[in-house]
Amino acid sequence: MNAKVFYTQPDGSERILEATPGDSIMRTAVRNGVSGIVGQCGGSLSCATCHVFVDDRDAGDFPPVSEDEDDMLDVAATDREDNSRLSCQLILTDGQEVHVTIPAVQL
Amino acid sequence: MTDTTTPVYPFGPLAAAEAVDHIRRLVNDRPMTKMTMPYGGDVWLIHRNRTARTILADPRFVRAPFRTGERQVPFFVPFPDFLRGTLQFEDPPQHTKLRKLVQKAISPKRVAAMRDSAVAFANQLIDDMTARGGVRNLVTEYAMGLPIEMLSNLLGVPSADRDKFERWSASTLAVAGKTDDEVTADMAELAAYMTDLIARRREQPQDDLLSVLAHARDRDETLTDAEILPIAFILIIGGFDNTATFLATGVLALLCNDDQRARFLTDPDGLAPTATEEILRHGSFALGHPIGGGGGLVPFVATADVEVDGQLIAAGEAVSLDPTTANHDPAAIDDPGRFDITRKDNPHLMLSYGLHHCLGAPLARMELQVGLAELFKRLPQLRLAGNPEYNRTVLTQPMTNLPVAW
Repeated sequence: MNAKVFYTQPDGSERILEATPGDSIMRTAVRNGVSGIVGQCGGSLSCATCHVFVDDRDAGDFPPVSEDEDDMLDVAATDREDNSRLSCQLILTDGQEVHVTIPAVQL
Repeated sequence: MTDTTTPVYPFGPLAAAEAVDHIRRLVNDRPMTKMTMPYGGDVWLIHRNRTARTILADPRFVRAPFRTGERQVPFFVPFPDFLRGTLQFEDPPQHTKLRKLVQKAISPKRVAAMRDSAVAFANQLIDDMTARGGVRNLVTEYAMGLPIEMLSNLLGVPSADRDKFERWSASTLAVAGKTDDEVTADMAELAAYMTDLIARRREQPQDDLLSVLAHARDRDETLTDAEILPIAFILIIGGFDNTATFLATGVLALLCNDDQRARFLTDPDGLAPTATEEILRHGSFALGHPIGGGGGLVPFVATADVEVDGQLIAAGEAVSLDPTTANHDPAAIDDPGRFDITRKDNPHLMLSYGLHHCLGAPLARMELQVGLAELFKRLPQLRLAGNPEYNRTVLTQPMTNLPVAW
């Protein structure tokens, strides 16, 4: 069963995408041309351009932030917050629904 | 009538609109073409945007055989030995260690903090140009000055040494027109200077990239001078020439396209980010020049048989991203022949993708955004005042003179 991701832009507009389980939130966004998620390094934790804020209700559904992800979140263009993640690290599972907000700048 | 001929690749210079049409038929026909390069043999050139992303994110494509010399790099020119010692020819885990250290220093956040000084320096260059008046060469008086200043700041080259650092670094520029012997001599002086600077930063760290790299050995990572020097070199070579060329191309593209320039002038700061991406993607198509196709970025070697998009790439074969075609793939880019500085979804691959995507990408983007916005804010009447000149004798064919007045 497909996962579902709700992407909210900084201006409040929302886009809802069906996603293949096993894909990341970054890959799903890039594949479908969601503005504001660049993902230039392809998920190798070396660009910090797929930064998102995960809605509190979904935050516990993913493994915790790794040391490498933590390092890169520190240098993202928009200051990190408690619910900041790099969306390349958020791998979707069967039927999962996730709500994320895209920061004002990634580059 | 349906055109049933197989679209050729490489293809010779065509008017930009015809080149876009040719690329459309090419990417429709096949994901990649095998091409024999002037040096190093055959390479698969990847045309489709999505196929290129798949390959660039696949760890089975590596660079080690080029680094070790087991395999010659398929390219237009013999690949210089000193470049094979740089980060771009490393694979994980060594690549991961080096890249992580450098990336933190050229991160989006760090680059955002450099933006104010880029704005100030761009305005200083514009002040100097307007003080001189008349017809100015925008390449030498603006487009080259901004990247080298930012690179000096990033690396931590002291102000007093800027002139000689610029002279040596500019020697690598295609526009400099120096002989091989002169370039070699300048590179040796630059290497000696950088080695000395690294030693000084080891002793007395400052807030700059060389200090960060020199002191990495104090933490869990260890970096030797022999590792730091090639990183500095790749930044100088990659960050100076390319950025200057894209900035000059961007200005010319806006001068050649009245509608896009008028649009840009309505909000230079607000439109600079999307304009920059569009110039990276399509700027060279928007200058009224014929466009040819054939060739790509630094290749990879397949470590196993890999089938991608219906095409088998055999173990040991080389693959390379061809940004010209991938940036005009209609499956990824809506109406790819349209030069549109407000384009929002612009998944171009000019700065590549994956593990080896452009190390200086955040810096390059910031410099292009600032360079374009400040110039057109200060000189909205900027106009072409003669024919641009190019150095056609070198691979990148950079602009050497962009005569402008205002």
